[in-house]
Amino acid sequence: MGEYASGKSENAVNRALDLVRAGRRVTLVDLDVVEPFFTLRPIKRELEARGLQVVARERHTLGLGETGVPLPAEAKWALRREGDVILDVGYGAYGAQTLNLVEGADRHPDLQVLAVINVARPMTATVEDVVAHVRELGRVDGLINNTHLGEETTVELVQEGARLVTAAARLLGLPVVATSVVKELAPLLGERDVMGNPVRALERFMPRAFW
Amino acid sequence: MPTKPKPVEGEKKVFMTGNEVVAWAAAAAGAECMYGYPITPQNEIMHYWTRLAPKFGLIFLQTEDELSAGFTMLGGVLAGRKSFTATAGPGNTLMQEPLSMAEMMRLPAVVVIQQRGGPSTGQVVYSQQEVTLTSLGGNGEGLRVVYSTSSHQDLYDYTIKAFNTAWRYRFPTFLLGDGYQGKMREPVVMYDPEVRGVELVPAEPYVGRPGTPGVDRPPAHLRNAYSIEEELYEAVMELVREYEKVAPEIVEHEAFGVDGARVVAVAHGVVFRAVKGVVRELRQQGVPVGYFRPITLRPFPADALRRVAATGVRLLVVESAYGQLARLVKEALSGLPAEVHGLYKPGVLVGQGEIATRIKTLVQGG
Repeated sequence: MGEYASGKSENAVNRALDLVRAGRRVTLVDLDVVEPFFTLRPIKRELEARGLQVVARERHTLGLGETGVPLPAEAKWALRREGDVILDVGYGAYGAQTLNLVEGADRHPDLQVLAVINVARPMTATVEDVVAHVRELGRVDGLINNTHLGEETTVELVQEGARLVTAAARLLGLPVVATSVVKELAPLLGERDVMGNPVRALERFMPRAFW
Repeated sequence: MPTKPKPVEGEKKVFMTGNEVVAWAAAAAGAECMYGYPITPQNEIMHYWTRLAPKFGLIFLQTEDELSAGFTMLGGVLAGRKSFTATAGPGNTLMQEPLSMAEMMRLPAVVVIQQRGGPSTGQVVYSQQEVTLTSLGGNGEGLRVVYSTSSHQDLYDYTIKAFNTAWRYRFPTFLLGDGYQGKMREPVVMYDPEVRGVELVPAEPYVGRPGTPGVDRPPAHLRNAYSIEEELYEAVMELVREYEKVAPEIVEHEAFGVDGARVVAVAHGVVFRAVKGVVRELRQQGVPVGYFRPITLRPFPADALRRVAATGVRLLVVESAYGQLARLVKEALSGLPAEVHGLYKPGVLVGQGEIATRIKTLVQGG
């Protein structure tokens, strides 16, 4: 989970595909309850062709636009599926409370809640801002540094993100699970970023999604 | 009293959604009050404004509907505060009543429209179907300014400009975006307008000014109702004269490759991005095509478009609506023997492939 444009969906999709490549059975769930039709819909077929199971809306939608959309049963019961489950939690005013809609999220022993942070966003631009933002979200078990400026991302910016996110994580008593960066820049960072966090390479899917 | 911190210091490249850009830009432009009622796809403008509010001493009022949001915004303006609202679709329809009053009283209200699909509740996220409503809505003569943006940088720059235009000329001013622009994310440079040499036009109160009315200053006699037909006629003609006088200072467009073109594509907003890409690519391949983008839809850059059309080109209007931009184009070209063709896709984006195909057909005389 995380703010708009922090990189939630890009990280969720990439992590899911990494696990598929490792031979695991993986389900990716679009848990955007505010605007559930937009992010993953245009790339759903492509992801399925790569062996991923995707729970996301396509056409034939129910509901009343922004005034209310029923949660698909497949999403509500997603944690009962076999294999790995990745929940892409859309941004909303309620943070981690969205997870209350998923059966078993409050007691599943393996569930990890990760907040994706981009310090190139003005609302999470300083250590103080990141700490305040993560505290607002509710339950969070770890952070991902996903600092970027889209096509204009530089290694220096990613490293600056690593420094700020790691400092915030220490104040919060949380681990930094990874620094994620587009695959073109990943080799320039090496296996670990400047703060020693593992680096994960991202293949870009979101330019083909609506946002 | 401690000075308030500036929302944006210096300049900085950041990554945001378009709606966030608008909230930050309004704060950078010195806006103090936002009045609003939620509707997709503009909600995040309100969300982010309320997050900025406690940090920078800004005011937000959520009202019971868009009629109320529009009128309370005018209250803020009358009190001399830079005020704005944001809405879309059916909300924009309701907003026309207060904005008619703003035209009549010359109140510099700023309204951000993130167009969604229509008619009625339509769909929540995208179209260009609010061109006619935003440019010519209300029970009057459309005496307002409408800027159509096509990128996040535009959203930032023209939000700041909208406040300046409104307070300089005292006509209600609209920023016309759409849900895709609101939700899309791309890098944008945020800056303190002062750093760029952009002077912010100061706000001033319409009512409650110091001194005795009629003695130290003229009374603030703001009317939106007249008793006699001729009184109203004189008032409206005065508004029209003022509007026509300042329109040439406000009007904006951009054009490319129109000299020697056989076809010129006309588009605005997010659709212009697709048109620009196609036209530049075809031009490189030697296809005689150009583009014309009205940045102000009201006042419309009619003189500039007439000069382009007078060379005998064929025009192709491309829009996510069924001929709303085309209607403005045809009115601007009235009396010229210009051919106006349309590629109309209400409520959906127009793909670069279909634009290229239509341009090539028209170039070949088809």
